[in-house]
Amino acid sequence: MLIVPCPNCGPRNAADLRYVGESRPRPDPNSASAKEWRAYLYERANPAGMLRETWYCRSGCRRYFVLERDTVSNEFTNPPTPVAKLGKRP
Amino acid sequence: MAESPAFESPVSTPYVSYGGVPIEPSGPGSPLTLQDHSSTTKFIVRAGSETNAFRQLSTPFATSRTEDGVLIAGQRPDEWFLVGREQAVRALAGRLDRTGHVSLIDGTHGRAMFRLTGAGSALVLEKLCGLDWNDHMTPDGAAVSGSVAKVTCDIVRNDLDGVPSYLISCDRSFGQYLFDVILDAGQEFGIQPL
Repeated sequence: MLIVPCPNCGPRNAADLRYVGESRPRPDPNSASAKEWRAYLYERANPAGMLRETWYCRSGCRRYFVLERDTVSNEFTNPPTPVAKLGKRP
Repeated sequence: MAESPAFESPVSTPYVSYGGVPIEPSGPGSPLTLQDHSSTTKFIVRAGSETNAFRQLSTPFATSRTEDGVLIAGQRPDEWFLVGREQAVRALAGRLDRTGHVSLIDGTHGRAMFRLTGAGSALVLEKLCGLDWNDHMTPDGAAVSGSVAKVTCDIVRNDLDGVPSYLISCDRSFGQYLFDVILDAGQEFGIQPL
């Protein structure tokens, strides 16, 4: 079982949350090229190691947050950051 | 806000558990009971942290308190559940400053609500939900949201005269299923519907 630390609700079973995906900055729609959009939409780093990712607490506080997970050991290293505090949408 | 039409409970009688076992209703003296409270007036308030309504409600996330007979539960960082008699809930809602990002929804007909009462009520919830129902994690007054039998529910611990009691609410369409599942899970603890 994967326990995800939600910044509002505390540790929760991953089944109570939704995995949104790798967290990356969204390109500026006014200046991004087609290649940049394609990379943002479809290309994933998928590393064996630390990954910055977005989660959604669907059963609890219904907030998006970002945290870092080791994809090899499933350990979360840094405390989660609410997306609202990052100033950008996931 | 218009007057609510006549209420129709999502839970039908006679009571039958999810496993198909017929269960007879009992009196209020039973050690573990499940009661349908769906007809209780339920308002949902959403208010941004910069609004006056946010300050008026003054109930932090994951806690609850009672004001003028209305239970105010902080279910999410900017969302509250008001539960109580219709007149009292409407009066409290009417006093809220609606300036800014504030919304008020009458959830009486859209939400089912049950009260699970008894010393063994936490044991029943532990069978259905992954949250920690120990006294030090969810004391009297705690308000949490989580999955109960795979249904997203808002749960408020609201003890009655020192006896552990939980108000469990979910979307109306899941009401009958959730009621039956709780009866099923509580059978080994002698649960009876009221």
